[in-house]
Amino acid sequence: MVIDLKRCVGCHACAIACRAEWGIPVGYRRNWVHRLGPEKTPHGLSYTFYPGLCNHCDDPKCVSVCPVDPEERTFKDPKTGKKKTIAIHATFKHPFTGAVLIDKTRCIGCGSCVEACPYGARYLNEELDDPKADKCTFCVERLEAGEQPACVKTCITKARIFGDLSDKSSQVHKIVASGKAIRLTSKEVNIGPNVYYTGLKKDTHLLIKKYAPHERKWENVMAPTRRDIILAAVRRLKTAV
Amino acid sequence: MKRRRFLKLSASACAALAALELQGKGMFRPAVASTGDAQGLPGSLGAKEIPSVCEMCFWRCPIVGKVKKGRLVKIEGNPKSPANDTRVCARGNSGVQLIYDPDRLKYPLKRTGKRGEGKWARISWDEALDEVAHNMNKVRDKYGPHALAYFDHGASAEFMRGIFKALGTENYTNEPAFFQCVGPAALAFIKTMGYITSGTRQYVDMKNAKAILLVASHIGENVHVSHVSEYMEGLSKGAKLVVVDPRFSAPAGKADIYLPIRPGTDTALLLAWMNFIIEKGLYDKDFVKSHCTGFDDVKAAVKKCTIEWAAPICDLKPEDMKKAIITLAEARPHVAIHPGRHATWYGKGDTSRHQALGMLAALFGAVGVPGGLYFPTPVKKGHSECAECGGEPETPDESIQEDYYPFASMFGSPTSKLVEASLTGKPYPVKLWGINGVNILQTIPDPYKTMEAINKLDFIFCEEIMPTETAMWSDIVLPGATYLERYDAVYSYDLLTPYITVRQPVVKPMFEVKSSYWIARQLAKRLGLECFQAKDIREIIEEELKPAGLSLESLNKKGGLVPIKAKPYRKRKDLKFKTESGKINLSVTDFEDEDLDPIPKFIPTPAPPKGYARLIYGRVPVHTFSRTMNNKWLHNEWPENQLWLNDEVAGKIGLKDGEEVVLENQDGYKSLPIKLKVTPGIRADVVYMAHGYGSRSKMLTKAFKKGASDQFMITEYINDPFMGASSHRTNFVRIIKGNKVINIPDLCPIPPQIPRFKLKNAASAKTGGKK
Repeated sequence: MVIDLKRCVGCHACAIACRAEWGIPVGYRRNWVHRLGPEKTPHGLSYTFYPGLCNHCDDPKCVSVCPVDPEERTFKDPKTGKKKTIAIHATFKHPFTGAVLIDKTRCIGCGSCVEACPYGARYLNEELDDPKADKCTFCVERLEAGEQPACVKTCITKARIFGDLSDKSSQVHKIVASGKAIRLTSKEVNIGPNVYYTGLKKDTHLLIKKYAPHERKWENVMAPTRRDIILAAVRRLKTAV
Repeated sequence: MKRRRFLKLSASACAALAALELQGKGMFRPAVASTGDAQGLPGSLGAKEIPSVCEMCFWRCPIVGKVKKGRLVKIEGNPKSPANDTRVCARGNSGVQLIYDPDRLKYPLKRTGKRGEGKWARISWDEALDEVAHNMNKVRDKYGPHALAYFDHGASAEFMRGIFKALGTENYTNEPAFFQCVGPAALAFIKTMGYITSGTRQYVDMKNAKAILLVASHIGENVHVSHVSEYMEGLSKGAKLVVVDPRFSAPAGKADIYLPIRPGTDTALLLAWMNFIIEKGLYDKDFVKSHCTGFDDVKAAVKKCTIEWAAPICDLKPEDMKKAIITLAEARPHVAIHPGRHATWYGKGDTSRHQALGMLAALFGAVGVPGGLYFPTPVKKGHSECAECGGEPETPDESIQEDYYPFASMFGSPTSKLVEASLTGKPYPVKLWGINGVNILQTIPDPYKTMEAINKLDFIFCEEIMPTETAMWSDIVLPGATYLERYDAVYSYDLLTPYITVRQPVVKPMFEVKSSYWIARQLAKRLGLECFQAKDIREIIEEELKPAGLSLESLNKKGGLVPIKAKPYRKRKDLKFKTESGKINLSVTDFEDEDLDPIPKFIPTPAPPKGYARLIYGRVPVHTFSRTMNNKWLHNEWPENQLWLNDEVAGKIGLKDGEEVVLENQDGYKSLPIKLKVTPGIRADVVYMAHGYGSRSKMLTKAFKKGASDQFMITEYINDPFMGASSHRTNFVRIIKGNKVINIPDLCPIPPQIPRFKLKNAASAKTGGKK
């Protein structure tokens, strides 16, 4: 996804359309808008926005910290129909689309992935009797039904461009290939985020200054203790009774 | 057990449990919050889609309500709409939470405590309507028809307006929409261009403009989908953007030229710009010659208004002012001079400021052309007698409208005059207020005076959806259906992408709420008025659709909306304006006839008194007025407002970003606590907060006391001498931190042309406030 900050007016329609589409309880979010500035930058006074969501990173640290044992699963390439079987944790990166997803039936709700994400893109839904991690899926279910992601469909200024980065004819590919798009990375944290931002220099400058992560949070994730896991299992059993 | 093995075990235990879940034993709560339908499709996929029209704000975007098992799960834009297609804003998306807000007014209520106390008894509809009708009759019999006054806004208010009209009061419409908002701009353009270039909507073609001028229009902070998207299309096609605003607003962030003007001096800038383009020959001579009247008078009137004269008044650099006007002039005639909407700023000079904007557009020949001001497209729509109630009432011997402000009657009765009449009985007693679709205590300046006036009334009732401050102060509250639960009239849109559509219910009304038509019809019956004969509002809709060759059924077969071909532009030779002269009036003789300035003059508004900053306000994109602050999703997105404070000022008085302060205005009134946003993006002589926060209704459980209300700081107002609107930017505040009063340092030198505001009671201001 590419988000054009020149077009974004910071209206929050994306954040609410996502909440409505997926019934995300208030207090949690998959999709957000933060306001930045007005603040001085070397390129002039900036007043811009951070429309954020999961970056579906190339090297998703949330996946590598997932303690749930891998299980084999067969994936299909939506473009070619080609199949591939790989072993996945409860959260995994789709081998064809690149989307980072969660297998809710296997997620044990330990919260490791939530802690690991340097972007704070995940949350643990503790409103459920059986808490689960949750995050943006790029609206994979809607894509399968031939729909656009909810945030893209509602974006009032068409600031969000969604497409297949590997398809050279796609608009997203062209923008990214032009080198004009930036990503929220730093020397310390560079895990290949797949949400790109374009905009005036002052605005991308401020966005990177404020929101490019520096903390390698995944390195501090403690593997869940036995206690955590037992508690999770007990919680599940309790709801079963 | 080794940790790894344990993990494996527990993970498979989980898998086993999950399998159990899948067997559908019904013992588990769903693992994910799901709105899945019968076919098990997730999210809003597979929902039944019902076309309708949004009313989260007055722009009224076409929508589809997505319904699963009788419950509204999502709202999207109507894909058939050429104005917004599938897009809706944050508020449009949040209509779902208006219907299901647990704080909604559910049943008719009767006040049991003191006015404003919020003590209620649930009553039946019959009892509520009988009581309203009885009081309307009683007041009318005792004091005459003009003792009845109706404050109205939005779609829900339209039918009931007819009842007040039929009862014979001149005060049948007092729309805060005009007297607190667009009135001066609307009047200026009607008299200059012959049509309401800026009213509910603005006929300005930003989409095809090569340059755009915004004078304190905060597009993106106020969000109306087609308006914002056309503005953005224009910018993305390379239009240059000039923004004039004391605050670095969202559009200022996108501007090519930003002018941080001193508040109250916009007309000086516009006059200087007009003089500059006339002197330099940067105007459209041919257009002015063939399509405008009064050019020579204007030329003479603005002669002394040089850039150098205006620069110290406006506190701008002459070179920036010139650069901006040259940028606009180079784009002529494809230059979008935005006519503005909210215009009730300083009282004196508001109509003139918008007149000057119209004049600038005319001098650029930017009217009736792509990229300029354009004409509404006529839409064939029928009229049903059933939608009407009474004829035009007689004007009393001394009129609240005409005897005070010569152009007020074009819009109704000025709200501030009605408040005064209710308080003083002059020029005649006003004893009953009906309120529909507007929270007057968060709209009309000096809410303290409004509350006093309410206490003098014999009776006050409202039709509302939420328990607003105004509902709190009512004797009877009639719970209205939301726009998602009722039919309304046929809606046509006559801007760049015209269409005809209709509002229809997407779900059944909740609780005991009733549609506006039903309420008006029942009330009319009780008052013995022969109107609203149609039993079902759909009869009215069918009547209105007929001339377009449509019926409700055929319209719905087409997706609930039919686009219409746009006719916004005219060939120059065909240009004709609906003014007496058929031309654009650069000088307005109608104004002259009333001893008002026919050509705008710069009238300075007093600068802040020492120690104070001017309070300005605006919108956040997720809220409409004070109406949506309790909406669960919108509240979550932006629960409270912040006070923008200049960083240099903050540094001098030792205040930091995020700190909580209280404001005290020039009359000693104190605000609720508000957090500071310290930024270089605001002038040192103003502070800013978003409007609509700081609710004083405890029945709005989410919005109550969240943030501060600008409205409760606006106690000083001046009426526009043309049409009687009341000013909102004529109030000044200083900061209270803990028990300490902190004066705002004086960092903006004031030129001799601008007087300072004189504090009424310097002593009381010194010792601190009253409330």
